[in-house]
Amino acid sequence: MTTATATAVRRTPRRRPRAGGGQRRAPYLFLAPFLVLFAVFTMAPIVLAVYSSFFQTKRSGLGFGGEGEVVFAGLDNYVRALSNDGFVAGFGRVLGYGVVQVPVMLGLALVLALLFDTALVRWKPFFQLSVFMPYAVPSVVAALIWGFLYQPRVSPIVEGLRSVGWDVSFLSPDVVLWSLANVAVWSVTGVNMVILFSALQSVPREIYEAARIDGASELRTALSIKIPMIMPSLTLTFLFSIIGTMQLFNEPMTMRAVTSNISGDYTPNMAIFQATTLGGDVNLGSAMAVVLGLVIFVLSLVVQGVSRRRNGADR
Amino acid sequence: MARSSRLLAATSVVVGAALALTACSSSSDDSGGSGGSGAAGPVTLEFWGWATGLEDAVALWNEENPDIQVDFFRMTGDDGDKIPAAIDNGTAPDVVQMSVHSIPSHVIANRLTDLTEYVGDLEDDFTDASWANVTFDGSTYAVPQDFGPNALMYRSDIFEQHGLTVPTTWDEYLETARALKAADPNLYIAQMSPNETGYWIADVWQNEGSWFGIDGDAWTVDVNDEASQEVAERWQTLLDEDLVKVVDMWTPEYWAEINAGTIATINYAAWFPAMLEANAADLAGSWSVAPSPVYEAGSTAAGAGDSSVDVIPTGTEDVAQAAQFLTWLNTSEESLDILVGENSMFPAALSGLQSDALHQPNAYFGGQVVNDVFAEAAENVPASWVDGPVYDLVQDTIKDEFAKVGNGAQTFEQALDAAAEYARTQLEQQGLNVK
Repeated sequence: MTTATATAVRRTPRRRPRAGGGQRRAPYLFLAPFLVLFAVFTMAPIVLAVYSSFFQTKRSGLGFGGEGEVVFAGLDNYVRALSNDGFVAGFGRVLGYGVVQVPVMLGLALVLALLFDTALVRWKPFFQLSVFMPYAVPSVVAALIWGFLYQPRVSPIVEGLRSVGWDVSFLSPDVVLWSLANVAVWSVTGVNMVILFSALQSVPREIYEAARIDGASELRTALSIKIPMIMPSLTLTFLFSIIGTMQLFNEPMTMRAVTSNISGDYTPNMAIFQATTLGGDVNLGSAMAVVLGLVIFVLSLVVQGVSRRRNGADR
Repeated sequence: MARSSRLLAATSVVVGAALALTACSSSSDDSGGSGGSGAAGPVTLEFWGWATGLEDAVALWNEENPDIQVDFFRMTGDDGDKIPAAIDNGTAPDVVQMSVHSIPSHVIANRLTDLTEYVGDLEDDFTDASWANVTFDGSTYAVPQDFGPNALMYRSDIFEQHGLTVPTTWDEYLETARALKAADPNLYIAQMSPNETGYWIADVWQNEGSWFGIDGDAWTVDVNDEASQEVAERWQTLLDEDLVKVVDMWTPEYWAEINAGTIATINYAAWFPAMLEANAADLAGSWSVAPSPVYEAGSTAAGAGDSSVDVIPTGTEDVAQAAQFLTWLNTSEESLDILVGENSMFPAALSGLQSDALHQPNAYFGGQVVNDVFAEAAENVPASWVDGPVYDLVQDTIKDEFAKVGNGAQTFEQALDAAAEYARTQLEQQGLNVK
């Protein structure tokens, strides 16, 4: 710190290579606290997880009395993870969920953002706040509320639909995934809308004016100008949504309390939780976590690659 | 969603890493042999528990034992999840209340002190079943605290209305279920709850079955053994003939069903009447309690589900004092008077079962002394049940498999086979001997 301030205050009297070096060091000094925390709380756990994924605790007999022996297991934990039907099925589930939930949610967010951006909507802050509000509800609470609304005999929705002759079962095995998706859509549409809306706000107004003078309708303006202009924000929200989908945990875990049709390994994150917390097998859990991390990494690269090419082509 | 779940994932990785780290280091503090030395001078023990009334019992103890002071911390919510990490990190309390089913996995992970030399002679103070639950391979690892023997809670008003008699065998139970259905198609003899394994365990236990066993130096996996198959057959019939309502327990929907009066019997644990009273107050006076139906006429065997025990984690220095406290807490008249009498704990100790405090009329059950039935059941629970090292995983698997049974996607038999296969694989992967 002291050297940084010192060099910053002293105006370099002569061209000395040292002084330039000190100034170049300053940003790193300010970055240091972040880097240290990053190393301790992000890098170290990742390294540890990868390390631990290559080991296994071996016991013998009844396992009583003796210490377990930690042995190098090579890729054995990865083989176990990938041959674990529940874990693998979880990926299929979240992918299927993501393919539906992400476009629906982002589509909604985009339409809402575009609507709020037109001059036509009045009471804008009120509507925006109401759309955003669900995001302020913790996901566990959201899942609890919706879980209540999904249950027969206690839900006004289920009972209401039944009274008009529509017998729905929101928690049946085939439907429960989409009931979960509904909770997520309800929760996160608002925040994505805000991101897209603020991106729209930063588009120079003259462009709209030019479009209007050229005789473009609101819809035309939206499709040909607004959406392309906010493409980077759309890509970003898309990326975050995919990552969020792959890491789905809170909602199904909470909803599990009201229906047994959500299994303990319903999503990859839940399978990891099951292996480590219930099974006490940190090594297997680490291998699963590494697999999940890699899948998310690859998916993110794909999304970024595609969007970059798209952007490149547009220009 | 994205933010919070990522945070959670990050935390779990950190926790996982921490566990991995400590798994290597925990071996260093297991040799704390000072426990037996009975060190002079006052000691202070930390005690984590959840049973109601523990504060009062601890206060009494502290008053009478200035040399062994106990600091009690009430566990809430997910505190139980902290215990393994706390023990592995050497920051565990000196005494912990835990579910009896977790004992083997904790013993294998070297988290529990072998208490044989301290409390081994308490055997005669407890029911056979509860003592069998804390003893493995000749060593005792815990002191039983409460117990949950089953009895049949039934809607006496419904039985009366339809002229039904209370079944005493499971065959009669099936007939009663059919008669009830015939009398009113909206009535069910019971509910099937895939998410509540306590039901299942109690039925298997009553039939002298178990999920695990010990044979020499090997574990046996008995999840789908003969005793269990018999129970499966009965439940399958109940399900196939639509005599039970499939509804997950503890959900608002479950209590709505109970309150709507569609469920006529609940064959469940001694601690359930209090929950029934709390969640279905309007049904006061409609319920009665009878012994559970049995498999063979003339048998008195009863089932039991979850119960809790007190353990002393490894790393605790004052084992002798802690054991002394636990003996007092769970077997002395003074303590049981507080826990049983004022706080409605259903005790594992025989003296507690005989205490007057336990046998009081229950207003919710129309003045019946329901604990007469439960206390007799407690002494008739077979000492057959053995918990195993992967109990939690097996329980989770059974829940998931039973959910498929409830949906009609498979039978109980298939569910049990799947769970047994799963348990076997899990044990083998830990390198344990499995027969």
